Amino acid sequence: MMMVNQKDASPRIPRLGAIENSSLAQRRASKGSKDDLSYYRYEEYDNVPLTPKPINEQSLKVSWVTNIANMSRDNMLCSKCGEGFEAQEKIVNSTGQLWHQQCFVCAQCFREFADGVFYEYDGRKYCEHDFHVLFAPCCQRCGTFIIGRVIKAMNSSWHAECFRCEMCQLELADTGFIKNGGRALCHECNAKVKAIGLGKYVCHKCHSMIDDQPLKFRGEVYHPYHFNCTACGVELDANAREVRNRPGLAKNDTNELYCLRCHDKMGVPICGACRRPIEERVVTALGKHWHVEHFVCAKCEKPFFGHRHYEKKGLAYCETHYHQLFGNLCHHCNQVIAGDVFTALNKAWCVHHFACSVCDQKMNQKTKFYECDLKPVCKKCYERFPKELRNRLRRQHEATPRRAPTPSD
Amino acid sequence: METAPSSVSCLPHQTKMSKAKKVLEEAREIQNPELDLFDKGVATFEEMPGLLNMTNITRLTLSLNRLKSVPPGLANLTNLEIINLANNQIEDLPLSLSSMPKLRILNLSINRLYTLPRGFGAFPVLEILDLTYNNLKEDSLPGNFFMMETLRALYLGDNDFEKLPPEIKNLKNLEILGLRENDLIELPKEIGELSRLRELHVQGNRLTIIPPELGNLDMSSNKAAFRFEGNEWVQPIADQLQLGINHLQDYLRSETYRILYNRYLTNKPPVPPPCVDKAKKVSRIR
Ligand SMILES: [Zn+2]
Ligand SMILES: [Zn+2]
Ligand SMILES: [Zn+2]
Ligand SMILES: [Zn+2]
Ligand SMILES: [Zn+2]
Ligand SMILES: [Zn+2]
Ligand SMILES: [Zn+2]
Ligand SMILES: [Zn+2]
Repeated sequence: MMMVNQKDASPRIPRLGAIENSSLAQRRASKGSKDDLSYYRYEEYDNVPLTPKPINEQSLKVSWVTNIANMSRDNMLCSKCGEGFEAQEKIVNSTGQLWHQQCFVCAQCFREFADGVFYEYDGRKYCEHDFHVLFAPCCQRCGTFIIGRVIKAMNSSWHAECFRCEMCQLELADTGFIKNGGRALCHECNAKVKAIGLGKYVCHKCHSMIDDQPLKFRGEVYHPYHFNCTACGVELDANAREVRNRPGLAKNDTNELYCLRCHDKMGVPICGACRRPIEERVVTALGKHWHVEHFVCAKCEKPFFGHRHYEKKGLAYCETHYHQLFGNLCHHCNQVIAGDVFTALNKAWCVHHFACSVCDQKMNQKTKFYECDLKPVCKKCYERFPKELRNRLRRQHEATPRRAPTPSD
Repeated sequence: METAPSSVSCLPHQTKMSKAKKVLEEAREIQNPELDLFDKGVATFEEMPGLLNMTNITRLTLSLNRLKSVPPGLANLTNLEIINLANNQIEDLPLSLSSMPKLRILNLSINRLYTLPRGFGAFPVLEILDLTYNNLKEDSLPGNFFMMETLRALYLGDNDFEKLPPEIKNLKNLEILGLRENDLIELPKEIGELSRLRELHVQGNRLTIIPPELGNLDMSSNKAAFRFEGNEWVQPIADQLQLGINHLQDYLRSETYRILYNRYLTNKPPVPPPCVDKAKKVSRIR
């Protein structure tokens, strides 16, 4: 028995070439930058097709030697068992070799090849089924045979559609990948992971790391150079300013970017205290704008932080110090009393607001009034109080009629 | 009280209108934003037709009438800054009032309120709330009552409070707190955190002792009025009160008092009985 080795009869198991030689690497190299190429060096990568059908149809055609008239059967031997052929016996002829019909079978299952299709490996022939079982690669992800394109990566084989970024599930077969801590990641995810590790940001537009100052815009971070000034069109740097179109609202999707020069020209308010532009909340008072934290009491220098302030001669004061320095607030309107002041019952009123607390009728310095809990009550209203209340108030010696105070300046 | 003029019968029918209607008509004519319906003898809002459409008004005076309730529609008068309902017979209020965007002053004194609606404390800009002479106590306050941070004055005199909730401290802007003639048996120490407080009325309660924290308040400035009379004060406090409010303040701040106060709390002396007979309050009439 002799074994005949026929190399061209069946497809070979793909040999993995060096990465630079793979078709993908070459495609990348031809259109991409140097960066791109070095990037692919991270990992063995290839996509040599492994087709189920024999590459060379012709070579696999099995012909039955039924009438080889001018050849003596005596000289013919079966390629498998080395025996001769009977006179009328069918002889299998494939690519110049001859077999007994019963010898031209799968090395594994000993059955004839369906439609004459077989695969050869290491000198043996296998039916399609057994070839796959024995030699075809299995996908690392889904565990089934890979017929067709095989992705060799991360020391395993994959269906093209099964080889994906472990973070975002992007298909990596055509884009390439980066091995990061035992994981195959896409460009973007790798950049993100790396940036986080370095305490840096990843640009929301190009997805690569931002080495210098990032530009914040509408809640994301970017390389500043992706943007141009809304006004003058100059390429922006990290000094660019985001202008809130609707101050106070959380929605920032109408915000625009301006270079510092245009921004300053736009009349962005300047703080009356520190002379710097105010990006955040603006307090407008005393005819100027202020940073919230720079709008302070002229006496104690504490910021008002939205609390009431009182103005006098171009300065602002907290309530305590305004009163300490200048006097009175009207109990009714809570405004600083500009003109005449009615003081009574430990309180002050402006001329408009000194009135009976029950009927709201204005009172003047001649009006007699009573007090209840230090609120002024005109005589008429007091007399309409429930009698028992009047009795109790009288008993408490609180119901002494008083003359209204004289207005004083 | 009111007597109908005898000449009324010879007037054309349509001119026979109530005093309230007349006021309303006039106010509409001259677009007066301050509507004065004081002592007009009205018992219901129906007697004031068109009032709830006068959205321009900023002040509404309805004191000294016989109103028993307030319609929710009053809150449609969103420009109102002042509502005066003093001396009526109001037993309940609509929650809608609490949403009035400009209401600064609300006078509900001398009425018949036993409760306040849930959510009452939602007033956005209320500064003065007068609930004097009603039938309120700590249980009748809604959960958000002390959320009214804009309050400058809170009058709760002549009600039935035995305790004041410690949440009082949330009323950071409070300058005036009226608690005269309730049934208070103690004051919360949190009153001492009301840094702007300059008037405190606690006369005629059942108080025996004052939390030392109240010594933080400025009781002796010329704008301050702290009224403590008519309680069952322990002798040292009564003595200091005799000497004057600044003596009391110094005493409350002293170490001596702190010791006395703590000893007093551990001894848990009996609570004085109600000392004010308020059974005759007209607010109790149902
Ligand atoms: Zn697969
Ligand atoms: Zn990814
Ligand atoms: Zn970028
Ligand atoms: Zn520009
Ligand atoms: Zn500033
Ligand atoms: Zn100050
Ligand atoms: Zn005033
Ligand atoms: Zn009056």
